[in-house]
Amino acid sequence: MAPPSGSAVYKKKDGTLTMSPDQQSVSWIPAAGGATGTITISVAQITNLQQTPATSPKVMLKIHVLPPNAPDNTPEQYVFNFTAGANARAEADAIKDALSAAIQAAKAAQAAPTPPVAAAAAAAGSAGGGSNEGVSAAMAMANAITAGGSYEKPWDDDKRLQGDMELQQSLLKSNPQLQRMFMESMGTKPETLSAGQFMKQFWSTRLHLLRAHAIERSQTRGSYNVLSTLKPRVEDSVTKLNISKEQIQLIFNQHPLVKQVYDENVPKLSETQFWSRFFQSRLFKKLRGERISETDATDAILDKYLKADEHGNLRDAQVPHFLDLAGNEVNHSQRRGNRPDLDMRPSSVDKVPIIRTLNNLSEKIMANVAPADAIPQANGDAEDDTYNELQLRDLRGDEEQRRILLNVKDQSRFFSSQSKTDEDEESRLFAQQDPKQILNNLRGEVDQNLPEGGIVPLGRLVEPEEDDDGDETKQASQVGSRANLKRASSQILEAIRDRRTQTEVSAISGTFGLSSALYDRLTLTHATSTEFLHQFWQAFLSGNPDRAGEVASLVESLNRAMDRIKAVQQDAEAERQVEMNRLRRHAREVLEATGKKLRINLTNVAGGEQAVTRLLGPTIRALETALTKYKDALAEEMKEMPPA
Amino acid sequence: MNTIDATEHYSTSAHDRPPSLLTVILDTNPHAWAQLSSQSALPLSTAVANILVFLNAHLACNYANEVAVVASHTQKATWLYPVAAAAAADPNQPPGDKDGDTPMLPQTQNRPPPPHEMNKYRPFRIVEEQVTQNLHRLLGGTTADDLSATTSTLMAGALTLALSHINRRTIAWAEAHGGETDPNAHANNNNTTTSTNTAGGGAAAAASGGDKASTESGLQSRILILSVSSATGAAHQYIPIMNAIFACQRLQIPIDVCKLAGDAVFLQQAADATKGVYMALAEPRGLLQYLMMAFLPDQRSRRHLILPTRVDVDFRAACFCHRRVVDIGFVCSICLSIFCEPLEKGECLTCGSVLEMGDYGAKPAVVARKKKKKKVRGPGNGASATPTPTPTPGP
Repeated sequence: MAPPSGSAVYKKKDGTLTMSPDQQSVSWIPAAGGATGTITISVAQITNLQQTPATSPKVMLKIHVLPPNAPDNTPEQYVFNFTAGANARAEADAIKDALSAAIQAAKAAQAAPTPPVAAAAAAAGSAGGGSNEGVSAAMAMANAITAGGSYEKPWDDDKRLQGDMELQQSLLKSNPQLQRMFMESMGTKPETLSAGQFMKQFWSTRLHLLRAHAIERSQTRGSYNVLSTLKPRVEDSVTKLNISKEQIQLIFNQHPLVKQVYDENVPKLSETQFWSRFFQSRLFKKLRGERISETDATDAILDKYLKADEHGNLRDAQVPHFLDLAGNEVNHSQRRGNRPDLDMRPSSVDKVPIIRTLNNLSEKIMANVAPADAIPQANGDAEDDTYNELQLRDLRGDEEQRRILLNVKDQSRFFSSQSKTDEDEESRLFAQQDPKQILNNLRGEVDQNLPEGGIVPLGRLVEPEEDDDGDETKQASQVGSRANLKRASSQILEAIRDRRTQTEVSAISGTFGLSSALYDRLTLTHATSTEFLHQFWQAFLSGNPDRAGEVASLVESLNRAMDRIKAVQQDAEAERQVEMNRLRRHAREVLEATGKKLRINLTNVAGGEQAVTRLLGPTIRALETALTKYKDALAEEMKEMPPA
Repeated sequence: MNTIDATEHYSTSAHDRPPSLLTVILDTNPHAWAQLSSQSALPLSTAVANILVFLNAHLACNYANEVAVVASHTQKATWLYPVAAAAAADPNQPPGDKDGDTPMLPQTQNRPPPPHEMNKYRPFRIVEEQVTQNLHRLLGGTTADDLSATTSTLMAGALTLALSHINRRTIAWAEAHGGETDPNAHANNNNTTTSTNTAGGGAAAAASGGDKASTESGLQSRILILSVSSATGAAHQYIPIMNAIFACQRLQIPIDVCKLAGDAVFLQQAADATKGVYMALAEPRGLLQYLMMAFLPDQRSRRHLILPTRVDVDFRAACFCHRRVVDIGFVCSICLSIFCEPLEKGECLTCGSVLEMGDYGAKPAVVARKKKKKKVRGPGNGASATPTPTPTPGP
């Protein structure tokens, strides 16, 4: 196919606009002057296309081009006026279609999504209307090319998530803990930080939560087997059943037969009459998949439909060829007088009605649900899809594991260069020893104590003879002496004791002796402090001087976070004092009443400042580190700064 | 196939308490032992005697219990027990083969035991004989040059030897006793993990659930490391050691560490990751007491015991570039190599992947940049002319 082309006027000069054969560029060649005035536009640089609407008598194509080295983001524009008379429209359309296809292909090939060209999407359709006031007014947006594909889900775009206030509000509503933290941080944020900035930072670290929430919200409940949920109840010996409009709608959807029955009978019967008869009828039981017994009440009208095959029209559904048995008519064993194979004989419908009904219903319900996991294929073959769906994947062998190959280099080469420089104490000690000597000593000692041939005097080596009058020092230095064994066992027992206290769950471990209100405050303080620390480090480490003001204000909030921790400490201490006073008073009362002196152990009163300090210790340290780092950086920068 | 063969008459053995295999890795670094015997008067021979007693205790717990001993020496890692008969009787290795008998049976070269040792329980005797014999051979084969070349020990090699032996014994036991283990699956696991399992963590955790049932009924294995050398000397073995640890984690083999001397950073992690016991001996001369009290219980008993292991684990890793043990490091997201400083050009030294560095390491800017000066201002009166804005935040 020849590349589309058309005669077009550019800057009042006649010429020809042609698509290049490789679809990578479009060029305009002036009719006069040869190749000197040729304009070539690469497809990759085109940001937008505009065309006059079909109703407009003028046929113009406007191409927005953003050259790669453009100083700022102002696209250049080329306006081509098609002049081929009656043919102009067709030519312009051909070029425009070819161009937009090529642009789409180029965009899809780009891995990084370019920002949407929404700004250019200002449509001026109404202004068109045949009036030729100005070129730009008559130019209506014909084909805006948006970046990325239209299949992109909203939650794949971080920016969109961050900007979606409604989504954020809904997430906060569903997550009270997050909401509390958000409100608390919002309330204590530095004034210099605007609400918008704060929100942006707050959500930038919680994009995953937003994404999860967006996905969650986009999920909807599917339809369900409505007939099985309808359970008549007995009140005052009258059977009652409530049914909503939605349920009727669902019944009609799921059971077209009921709809048919309803259509044919309702003018004759009243609405309530119809439903009450229906729910008592054999038809209802059949649709639910229950077995119909002889004792069931008969119904003159509804029983007519019992024989109607509800699933009859389903058989006409399109059957993929490879499992279409009817398509196998030629190779039909029954034609030769054989009985159909066991699998091919239709079993009686009445056999296990519930299974048939459920299968049928499930099929219907699933058919109405758009498959979420289906891979959209442009030229997907329905036959292949069914085939793939029915494949027994379990019967395949194990798939070859596809691991990522790591190209690990030999590490010893970087160690060897360093090994001599930072040797530790021990290796230096080792190096001082004379290898020959230690080897000889070792051999001699092993030869002496561990003779070969299973005659090692284990007993003598392990348990040295301890003479009672032997001096203590000699005994202590001997391997396996009683004193040494005792020291060893006490170390083990101590380790076991430590371990046990650590693994035991203490009763007050939940709130560490603090009241639950105070503990809540503590967790909240911790959460907000962490939030501000996070924001601080992000701004601080960005190295962006434009954010310096932000850093300064965040430091202020870090200081305030420290104050808040102190406040919690004070309150906790006050609470502990109250508790201690209560104990003292109680002891005094007991003393007055009985004369018995109660010994109270005030150190056992848990909580207080100490508990808070212990719990928030890491946070306090983190805050201190952040503040010190900031001060250091500030001092250094002030020094570098030339004096005023 | 094995599951099909597991017919009724095998089921009795499956209900029996499965035996356990204890693999002891003995660090025989002569440098460290020379230090240890001079400082705390614990010579290697006495330590070996203590270990032999400990092994005997393990063997005595169950008639089917097995032991293995690996020596992690300075220049090689080698077996002390069990040693294949052919290797033990190899005429090319003269030490130990003094009588020059036909090298067909290992027993022929054994001297008849003295009368008072005649009644020694046979399994005890075999272990003792082989361990002492091979230890002699190992020390005999070590030259002074070997020792002056390095001061560290080949712990990674010893761990790998131990793991492959455990793997072989597990399969053999499952085949012989028709346990519920599928030996093929198990073998696959072992092969992949022991060779190169850098992925470690996630995969191992996922698989451990599935393996649990099989290890319940199969051979119970554990590893005990007697460490005397510092691990900093072994920093270049970091990756192989970690791989071995991950393999143990996946196979649910606890690594117990009995540290007599030195500073074993990675072994501490090994014990923690595999739920083994880590014990730094305060009194090395009471070695037997430690061995018997802390390390004797097998996995089955340990479930009911409080273990005397350390709780504060040093989780720090050594960086790959300067083998410093680091607090804050930089991890390659592809191969998980650790570096102590940001990489030049963002290229991982181990796997060569080019990593996005972000704008880390940018100098923090705390002083607000002045607004761009107007062009009319001459270059002469530059920054110094304008008073710097005070960066201190307002009240």
